[in-house]
Amino acid sequence: MQYALLAYTPPQDTDRAASPIPDTLSARLAGPNVTGWARLHAEESATTVRSSEGRMLLTDGPFIDSKEYLAGVILIEAGNLDGALAIAQDLLQESRPGTAIEVRPVLDGRLRGA
Amino acid sequence: VALDAVFRDQWSRVLATLVGILGDIELAEDAAAEAFAVAAERWPHDGEPANPTGWLVTTARNRAIDHLRRQRVLAAKTALLARDLEAGSQPPEVHVDDAATIPDERLELIFTCCHPALAIETQVALTLRTLGGLSTEEIALAFLVPFETMSKRLTRAKHKIRDAAIPFAVPPDHQLPDRLAAVLAVVYLIFNQGWGGGRVDLAAAAIRLGRALAGLMPDEPEALALLSLMLLHDARKAARLRDGRVVRLDDQDRSRWDTRQIEEGRAVLQRAMSGRPAGPYLLQAAIADLHLRQPRDWRQIATLYEMLASQTGSPVAEMNRAIAVAEIDGPEAGLAILDRLDLDHYRYFHSTRADLLRRAGQHGAAHHAYRRALDLAQTEPEQRFLQDRLAETAPGE
Repeated sequence: MQYALLAYTPPQDTDRAASPIPDTLSARLAGPNVTGWARLHAEESATTVRSSEGRMLLTDGPFIDSKEYLAGVILIEAGNLDGALAIAQDLLQESRPGTAIEVRPVLDGRLRGA
Repeated sequence: VALDAVFRDQWSRVLATLVGILGDIELAEDAAAEAFAVAAERWPHDGEPANPTGWLVTTARNRAIDHLRRQRVLAAKTALLARDLEAGSQPPEVHVDDAATIPDERLELIFTCCHPALAIETQVALTLRTLGGLSTEEIALAFLVPFETMSKRLTRAKHKIRDAAIPFAVPPDHQLPDRLAAVLAVVYLIFNQGWGGGRVDLAAAAIRLGRALAGLMPDEPEALALLSLMLLHDARKAARLRDGRVVRLDDQDRSRWDTRQIEEGRAVLQRAMSGRPAGPYLLQAAIADLHLRQPRDWRQIATLYEMLASQTGSPVAEMNRAIAVAEIDGPEAGLAILDRLDLDHYRYFHSTRADLLRRAGQHGAAHHAYRRALDLAQTEPEQRFLQDRLAETAPGE
């Protein structure tokens, strides 16, 4: 059985890119039961994609939680934000109406192989 | 003072080149600011260098490299600089003698700043800072927000561009029409904000941006049309206010119109008229041109507004068509169009309606509409104008 763990943390003033993952946490992430992980850039780097009457709408910022529930996590590779948005829009077209996808850049992680 | 003008002209050009080299707007801005400070200190004594752009780019670039070396995060910042470091060599010198070797990357920068993943108010602020050469203080003042708020907004935007990898590039052909429309919308928004008459000359900043865009995209009719539209509107600036009141176009002192700017606007409009179907800015520029001619050709103005309304679905265009129709067929015909529009929140809707009601002899209704317009008016000259109209239509007069 596989599980996705979603980590939530209070906002911080320091630049995330400048603060390394503590060694003790690093050791656990390197363990055999972790199949992949990603540390994300702060919420303010997010862009949310929605579909409305056949048109794609972009919003600057994270998905604001309302009655929707978190339905999945998809990891993608793209050259820049335009590439990532194109993939998100393509996926959105095949998703249930009312679905939104938040696109958040990955800061660092181990996403493939083991 | 002369140096200020040089600096404003150079700022966006130098900054864009640095963003291209360094791949980070924040870093580029800090480096550019340092280089401009050095120039302000040295140029008055040493004289302006033969190639100011090259001098500023080289100085800024060297400062940025020093800064990155100190921070020891160079390798992560840019592949180009990382290569220099690994080779242990000095970074290649930019040839300051030859301006042609410094690429003009302002177009890349404006498309980055007006990327749809940034909120519109962020696009506006960032464009004014990077390409308009306005300081954060000036932008905060123009949009009536505290300095801290504007500063945070700009910093957040620069971080998002870096972290989310918003491309520094002119979009590919299939995206270009939408993306260019977004850029033009930002420039026109800046112009309209300035039209209200704030403390910062945003209209002048918008025209500078429009000139730069028209120069960078000389074959893009809508970029030319936007410049023409702004020039033609702005040419009437000196005649727009009298005794602290807004003056209606027909009452304006035409000798105060800037005829040279009108001629320039018309010349640009001619260039914008290509074989392609007219876009929304071309229609608006053509209308602005017609409004400057005497007598006004209301039929043609009505036709152009009809095209604009059907192209954009804008109720404001439809409202303006109603004004033209009222001139042709009488105020009742104009009012019939207004009655179909849902523009209750729009201040000019109520002043327009009031004017037509007054001309139709319905003074009570006109008075009521002027009152509503006054409630929504945002500037003092508009308020004074409306107070005069309110007094004219007051019951018992």
